[in-house]
Amino acid sequence: MGRIELVGVTKRFGTAEVIPELSLEIEPGEFAVLLGPSGCGKSTLLRMMAGLEALTAGEIHIGGRRVDGLPPGQRGVAMVFQSYALYPHMSVADNLAFGLRNIGMAKEEIATRTREAARILEIEHLLERKPMQLSGGQRQRVAIGRAIVKEPQAFLFDEPLSNLDAALRARTRVEIARLHQRMGSTMIFVTHDQVEAMTMATRIVVLNKGRIEQIGSPLEIYRRPATRFVAGFIGTPGMNFLPVDMAEGAGGHAEVVLPGGTRLATGIPSRNLPSNAGSLTLGVRPEAVRVNPDGPVKAEVEFVEHLGDRTHLHVALPGGAQLVVEDAGESVVRAGEHIALTADGARLHLFDAADRAYSAA
Amino acid sequence: MSLSSARSASGTASRVRAGRMDSHQFGDRLLLGLVILLAILWTVPLVWVLGLSFKPNDVLMHSTGGILSAPFTLKNYADILASSNVFTWILNSIIVSGGQTVLTLVVCSLAGYGFARTEFPFKGVIFALVLAGLAVPEQAIVIPLFKMFADINLHNTYAALILPRLAVPFGVFLMTQYFRAVPREIEEAALLDNASRLKIFLVVVLPLSIPAQATLGIYTFLASWNDYLWPLISASKPEMFTLTVGLASTQMNFAQSEGIGFLMAQAIFAGLPILILYLFFQRHIVTAVAGTTVR
Repeated sequence: MGRIELVGVTKRFGTAEVIPELSLEIEPGEFAVLLGPSGCGKSTLLRMMAGLEALTAGEIHIGGRRVDGLPPGQRGVAMVFQSYALYPHMSVADNLAFGLRNIGMAKEEIATRTREAARILEIEHLLERKPMQLSGGQRQRVAIGRAIVKEPQAFLFDEPLSNLDAALRARTRVEIARLHQRMGSTMIFVTHDQVEAMTMATRIVVLNKGRIEQIGSPLEIYRRPATRFVAGFIGTPGMNFLPVDMAEGAGGHAEVVLPGGTRLATGIPSRNLPSNAGSLTLGVRPEAVRVNPDGPVKAEVEFVEHLGDRTHLHVALPGGAQLVVEDAGESVVRAGEHIALTADGARLHLFDAADRAYSAA
Repeated sequence: MSLSSARSASGTASRVRAGRMDSHQFGDRLLLGLVILLAILWTVPLVWVLGLSFKPNDVLMHSTGGILSAPFTLKNYADILASSNVFTWILNSIIVSGGQTVLTLVVCSLAGYGFARTEFPFKGVIFALVLAGLAVPEQAIVIPLFKMFADINLHNTYAALILPRLAVPFGVFLMTQYFRAVPREIEEAALLDNASRLKIFLVVVLPLSIPAQATLGIYTFLASWNDYLWPLISASKPEMFTLTVGLASTQMNFAQSEGIGFLMAQAIFAGLPILILYLFFQRHIVTAVAGTTVR
């Protein structure tokens, strides 16, 4: 169980800067998820920690030891790849034992560790099989087992659930989270899937274009996004963004004017907003808006999505702006209807021209 | 739809299906007939050779027809065991073909892995030069090759028969492409598992390339076994002849020597090793041929 520290880590491929100077600390036992869209540099960052990608500049420390000059096998990390990367010609037992044999571990110790990992992952009956004879989920378990037997300072997961079907992905997600609880190891998990990040992480690191947009707990990231990018990236359906004008608010809280001219009170303290805010963008999650016959915001329903437990209403505001609103599962609202909406001011966000976020206290 | 029209529709559908089945079966049978015909045509000369090998030479002096009628003899085979050089030539062919196959696999695998996975200056240019070798006909380099081996006094040795055939651009290309197709993540996993580059090559990557090795190995062995031009030039002593050169030499001396029955017995005897090889590796050979022709 080791602490991981990245200091001024930079990566360039030729002239293209993939990761501009980035620093990050991951505490022992933490389950950190690197979350971001494709091409944001999250896998590159993980590969640099593993030693599979050279750093252009910066330092990496794992367990108090500087490792960026060491070969991958000597960094004290184990990695689970997206494609599992099992050795196809070796049995499951040999796959698990290969790394231990390479460091000259005694046979008895190898056997003990292999058995224990197989027991934890419930793959004892598969030890003599070849990877070809396993299902996707079983292969994934073997890949995790190969990491477990090494008892590393940190586990690195590179989108390991991407190749699984939806049901298996959900199950494996829970199993990995349970494994983390049980082992208490430091784990770094790369994904572009916000659900994986939200359900497993103790801390999420949101990356965009090689830069850290925000670090925080899943709920913190969801409730108080630091930037418009984070606000838009987290949540399904995504946050609604509307251009608004500032208006004088009562009680020290900001009030905004929607495109159609409707005034909306927010829970955001006016003093937090920059004095020369200029044009602002209102951010509102679908579940922060409700259908309310007495609501101040009038809208026309364009499309209705019934999801069973909830309903998404795609509505158009008088100014033409589009909004997605969450309604109850048994919603009776139909396309073409005119409805009124109300928004929870405490759950509204404002974004300035530089995309910085302002949320209710 | 009424019951009768439904029945009629279902009857029409089954007739259409039956018609399709009939034409499908007819096609299959036609193909099978064609294959059998071609197999017979291909087998006739072999059966003829086999038949002639059991006929006395003096009978064959008069006519080479009637291979199925008596008299028959085993004398031709007995003569091989007693007097012919064919055992020496078979041994030479086994040594040369076996040596060439093993060394070609070693050289091509190492070169292929180098081109596929390592970075070095002028890699692209060197790879292009290797591939350019595919376009150079064997005959174009025979004279310089002959002079080179003459200068180092290597003619009439196994080294001279094996070494020139180790430069196999096709083999390097095949292995390079195969190694490129091996997922890089497997090697990265091995790196994280503390394996050295050599160990990764030997223990992880090489076993994965067995299908390509089998293809290349079989092709190399067959090409070497049937090779004629270079052994004819390099080996001038009968004890260093390979089977192809040895058999050709006896055919040239046919008029004043053993006779056609003996010659046919030699051909059968010479073909046995490759037949045995085929029986053992039939599956791999078929895969190899299919793998390189049907992409």
